[in-house]
Amino acid sequence: MTATAEPVAQVVSGLKSGPFHDRLVAHNRQQAWMNWMGYASPSVLDSVEFEYFAIRNQSTLFDISPMCKYAITGPDAEAVLNRLVTRDIRKLKPGRVAYCIWLDEDGQVVDDGTVFRLSETEFRLCCQEPQLSWLEDIAWGFDVSISDVTRDIAGLALQGPTSCALLKDLGLAGIETLKTFGIAEFAIGGADVTISRTGFTGDLGYELWIAPADALTIWDALMGAGKLRGLRVIGYEALDMARIEAGFLLPKVDFLSAQTVLRPDRANTPYELGLEWLVTLDKPHFNGRRALLDLSGQTPPRKLVAIEIERDKPAHNALVYHKKSREVGMVTSALWSPTCKRNIAYAWLDAPYGQSVTTDLWVEIYLQKEIRWQRRMARCHPASRPFFSHPRRTATPPADY
Amino acid sequence: MSARYDAIIIGAGHNGLVAAAMLARKGRKVLVLEARDHLGGMLGDADFRVAPLPYALRPEIIRSLGLPAQLMGTSKPVETISFNPDGPSVTVLGARTIGLAPEVAQTYATLRARLGRQAKALGVMMLEPPPGLGKASLGEMTGLARMALKMRLLGKTEMRDLLRIILSNVWDLLNDEIGDGPLAGALAMDATLGGAMGPRSPGTVLTLLYRMASHSAHGHGLRVMPEGGPDALVKALSDCVTAAGGEIRTGTPVEKILVDQDKTAGVRLQSGEEIAAPLVLSNVSPKTTLMTLLGVEHLDGEFVRRCRNMASKGMVSRLDFDIAQAPTLGSGSTLQNGQRLMIAPGMHAIETAFNAAKYGDLPERPVLEASYDAAANRLCVSAQFTPHDLTGGWTDDVKARLSASVLAVLEDALPGLSSAVTASRVMSPVDIETGYGAAGGHWHHGELRVDQLLMLRPFDGAAQYRMPVAGLYLCGAGAHPGGDISGAPGFNAARAALRDGRN
Repeated sequence: MTATAEPVAQVVSGLKSGPFHDRLVAHNRQQAWMNWMGYASPSVLDSVEFEYFAIRNQSTLFDISPMCKYAITGPDAEAVLNRLVTRDIRKLKPGRVAYCIWLDEDGQVVDDGTVFRLSETEFRLCCQEPQLSWLEDIAWGFDVSISDVTRDIAGLALQGPTSCALLKDLGLAGIETLKTFGIAEFAIGGADVTISRTGFTGDLGYELWIAPADALTIWDALMGAGKLRGLRVIGYEALDMARIEAGFLLPKVDFLSAQTVLRPDRANTPYELGLEWLVTLDKPHFNGRRALLDLSGQTPPRKLVAIEIERDKPAHNALVYHKKSREVGMVTSALWSPTCKRNIAYAWLDAPYGQSVTTDLWVEIYLQKEIRWQRRMARCHPASRPFFSHPRRTATPPADY
Repeated sequence: MSARYDAIIIGAGHNGLVAAAMLARKGRKVLVLEARDHLGGMLGDADFRVAPLPYALRPEIIRSLGLPAQLMGTSKPVETISFNPDGPSVTVLGARTIGLAPEVAQTYATLRARLGRQAKALGVMMLEPPPGLGKASLGEMTGLARMALKMRLLGKTEMRDLLRIILSNVWDLLNDEIGDGPLAGALAMDATLGGAMGPRSPGTVLTLLYRMASHSAHGHGLRVMPEGGPDALVKALSDCVTAAGGEIRTGTPVEKILVDQDKTAGVRLQSGEEIAAPLVLSNVSPKTTLMTLLGVEHLDGEFVRRCRNMASKGMVSRLDFDIAQAPTLGSGSTLQNGQRLMIAPGMHAIETAFNAAKYGDLPERPVLEASYDAAANRLCVSAQFTPHDLTGGWTDDVKARLSASVLAVLEDALPGLSSAVTASRVMSPVDIETGYGAAGGHWHHGELRVDQLLMLRPFDGAAQYRMPVAGLYLCGAGAHPGGDISGAPGFNAARAALRDGRN
């Protein structure tokens, strides 16, 4: 008898195969697929631990093709972007990227994402939620054209300490001079690729933007060069651990888009999300500005606060109490951080807790030991974001490691 | 900047003049800028008036501005003659009728009295700012409370009846009460005139009550032609502005409302001249004011979307026929100066005309409102259900076709008219749009319907006259209470601006 271990091509019910699907299938030992904007996207390929440590110690490849992408071009493109987001886009130079949020007229956050300025008149917006109709509303009356290029551009996130060295191995001359939030054009294996020094891990890393037809060529080149750099393909779960450490919020997990909430009080302002550093009130009118002006002098009724929890049990879905008795909030994302060696989380806390009252706060953690649930009260303390930040993230040129 | 004023009013329509007069009489240095060469907007053009029947200016405004009382007080209320192809025409003046069977006349009088009381209760809100949605001030709530009290004072039966019918259609109401025919036709015309609604459209009872809420010295729901006609009204208003120290300039189209630091800074004229003022009141339609003159870049996206989606497609074409002698009704009598002739022989005819317009076509037999201007030897006709977005567009051929079909309809009621016509002119909703800054060519700058009234007029988030850019106010027919020649939007907007100025 002979045993065969040939990977079987997967057909994921109802989900589209992305540009890298053939290669993902070959790596996906767990066959744990999830739905990301209609694409079959791996939540974990091998084991979360291996994938997570590869992010922090080697380098990793994550397919970000399903992310929504919009091309905004034309004479008024800058004005449209500036009206859309809360940052002053006039200060964003061509060849640079900015992390942004945008609001509805009540000052509630619609979504967050990255704005790529490709030239004076060409922008690309990358985000989690579909935004086309919203963009069309914002752009109405301006000389600009907007198109959904989600399916026209394949994306790969190459993240980790050895990612720059890996790209240098591929002969990408000058990649080491690309600064954080910079964009540059390269060729890999004869295929054009736009590389931005951006990512969702809080570490050194790049995002590669490719024509779908060239997707597999570039994947193969990266995997080839990555053998000696410890390159590993990762899924969503490992990335989620890294992003919590890196201080990035996730729509639908940490907050809801103002356009998806059913209850008006479930939407959030930038002040509640701790994103006031993204708001420039003294720029020309942007969507939600007048509402924010009113809100800017007020104490937010609740706030999403980074917390550090004593002891080591992750506080998934935990409730937060003051003096162990008064319920004052809830945890959205939680993690025992393997790199920080800290028990970290984000929690919604009602005012004044987490704002002026920061002591005697407790999380109620449920943990199961052999089908017996236990309740533990663990003390927590508001902490500053991000939990993890490494100097190599912004070092130019980065070391090879 | 060439000059500096306390307030600029864009558009010298009657609402703009009322607002200007209010502000000037409170000591503000006021400038009225009118794009056209005449004052009075839709009722001011002596050559071709869009609104030839200006008979609903509120007496409160006449008193407040100190306008000559005889302007509205001494003329007779306007009679409506509704053409009946199958018998004698029906003449209506308030609750009084001529040409109906006595029992029908009595039923109608009872209905008219009841509707009049209900309209009067609703009319309390006409000179009040609409309450805010969510956060209404005490003053606004007082206005609403007064209306609620008036409604309650109608008594349980009538209040219940009002709530039953207010959102329903005029077809059902009139069929239940008086049956179809020329009388129902005349009432249904009043309920639908200017709007994109037929008698069967929900909400047409509300528009009928809205029209009946008008007020004159002769009583509630009765309208009068001002002595001296529309020109006298316009002159009285403009004299009031200038007497209080206000300036009026004609032939000065505004190109842009200037904004500085999110506040109104003045206007730029098409000539390039810039005039500074911290307060700008626009009598132009909301869409034109916000989308064109102000610019969407100063507004939130949702606000712009609601403005874009505002229903404001005009349905009325105006036709003037120059005639050698007074038109003669089939009965032998002549149409008197100031009388109103309705050619809408029944609700069915109106609904049929509306059917064509719904799908972008001209009705074969438009329903008409006509009046005879004896001084100018002119029959002024409003042809209802001629859509702004006509399939194929408003070409000269189409206008000629409309003119011919209108004349054919008129000929039935006024035999021999065709041969007496010496000249004719047609103004389509598109002409009204380009001529008067009324986006969509709508008489009332926006449909009078339940989702565009009170705190939703002109649209959600834009009620209460003040716009998101501080210092900019809407003072035209698009604002509450909207439409007609009441002067109430200009009156209310000026009061809102004055009140804000005190803070």
